[in-house]
Amino acid sequence: MVENKVNNSMSEKTSNGLITLKNLTKKFGNNVVLDNISLTIEKGKTTVVIGPSGCGKTVLIKHLIVLLRPSAGEVYFGKQRIDNLPEHELDKIRTHYGFLFQGGALFDSLNVAGNIMFPITQHRSVTNWDEIDGLVKMKLALVGLDGFQHYYPAKLSGGQKKRVALARAIALNPEVVLYDEPTTGLDPIRADIINELILKLQRELGITSVVVTHDMTSAYKIGDRIIMLDNGKIIADGDGEHIHSNPHPVVQQFIKGQVGEDDLAALRMSGTIPQPQFLPEDFKP
Amino acid sequence: MIEALGSKTIKGVSNLGRFSRFVGDTAVTSFWSCIRSRTYPLIWVQMNSIGVQSAPIVMITGAFVGMILAIQAFNQLEAMGLEEHLGVLINVSVVSEFGPVLAAVMLAGRVGGALTAELGTMKVTEQIDAVKSMGTDPIEYLVVPRVMACLLLMPFLIIYADLLGVLGGYFVSVIHLGINSRAYWSFSANGVELWDVMVGIVKGFFFGGAIASISCYKGFHCREGAQGVGQACTEAFVASFISILALDLALALIFKGIYYSFWPVSVML
Repeated sequence: MVENKVNNSMSEKTSNGLITLKNLTKKFGNNVVLDNISLTIEKGKTTVVIGPSGCGKTVLIKHLIVLLRPSAGEVYFGKQRIDNLPEHELDKIRTHYGFLFQGGALFDSLNVAGNIMFPITQHRSVTNWDEIDGLVKMKLALVGLDGFQHYYPAKLSGGQKKRVALARAIALNPEVVLYDEPTTGLDPIRADIINELILKLQRELGITSVVVTHDMTSAYKIGDRIIMLDNGKIIADGDGEHIHSNPHPVVQQFIKGQVGEDDLAALRMSGTIPQPQFLPEDFKP
Repeated sequence: MIEALGSKTIKGVSNLGRFSRFVGDTAVTSFWSCIRSRTYPLIWVQMNSIGVQSAPIVMITGAFVGMILAIQAFNQLEAMGLEEHLGVLINVSVVSEFGPVLAAVMLAGRVGGALTAELGTMKVTEQIDAVKSMGTDPIEYLVVPRVMACLLLMPFLIIYADLLGVLGGYFVSVIHLGINSRAYWSFSANGVELWDVMVGIVKGFFFGGAIASISCYKGFHCREGAQGVGQACTEAFVASFISILALDLALALIFKGIYYSFWPVSVML
């Protein structure tokens, strides 16, 4: 019944689709990570993908930009099928995307300005460097880090790295930005700054966003639509209210952050934690 | 056991296929990169870190090879009364074999390991995916400059190694072992042909290309984590070392064939 609901809600949303996955399956060896997934990402909206660790969220988002090729199924950008394109043709398509990687993936050998300039210099013949400097300044100001141009990534905090990575992701004014765990590892305040930035980009630049996260606060705040993955399948698809009231036990368990009965039973079966046996006699904790 | 052997064979063939495709992609991309001016600064940077910074260690290696050859060969030649021919033995050995091979081995250790570690870390931290995601070909941006720098500068490093090898052999032979300087150079000049020097330098192109291709490939395909990067570096050095020896054998046979077929004709002309 849940699957029927998911399919109905999906088919309703195909009219304004920017990226479409059709019957996508991804296997690594015999391990099926994504199992016959069909999905349409709507233009100008923020789609959040949630799910437990290892359920295939990052694999899914990497298929949207064809950093991974599907084992079966198709990926479309607009009306163009892109999963079967050679790499040199994909390079042109990828300029429509920005990708914020989980760890930022900033280039260690380049400073902040160099990182943000990178996509610009790769796709434009630069004659006026003052103009590029101005562009870098503007992108950094957008993420609140103007003045950090000469810092190297090693000198930045986790939150600053993510903000610089976001500035780099939007350097080419992409139509769609993909965020892989943008708030993971950040304190709640820094995480909320990232959430606000995502909302700002959608509001002011009309950017389509796809966000992979397990942070439910973030998902409810930024998501126009939330999709839940489990065991390589979509088990829930709808707005925040729909997800909140979804009766599927795995969805409820996930959004409430509760441990399952199976996991609890496994913990009980493991017995008590043994006392340390090889401590020195005079050791006092 | 048969199943394990079959599985290893399939894995080996599959790896060889992947490596061949990687080298093919690199060759095609290198060709197109030659007409794009934006690649030149990247090659220039790599030439500095790969070539210029390797020159001292390669020169030291060359000098020691020349000196050791002089020490080791002197007694045998002296016993036959041929010690004044020591220069021929040292210089032919240095310019055609020891100079190129040992310079390449040093480069594989110093540069190959660094290339694999750098690219491996970039892969593990998703920086290679980041390059791709911004619509840039990572082969063009990361591999081509490194391969071109190795390919272009290895012959020059070999010339340095040869030069220092010849000088090292000369100093030990003439100053330490007391061989007449004029006789040493006279026999050397007669015994060492331009062909020997050229063979050594041409080998440098092949060695440089092999070291850079193997090291970049291993970096691009390393497993996750610090252990994966470390293992990739070890594999890159071992594979580079074996490739240098295998290429040296193959090139020695090919050049010998060419020498006996064409070189006398060209000298007569």
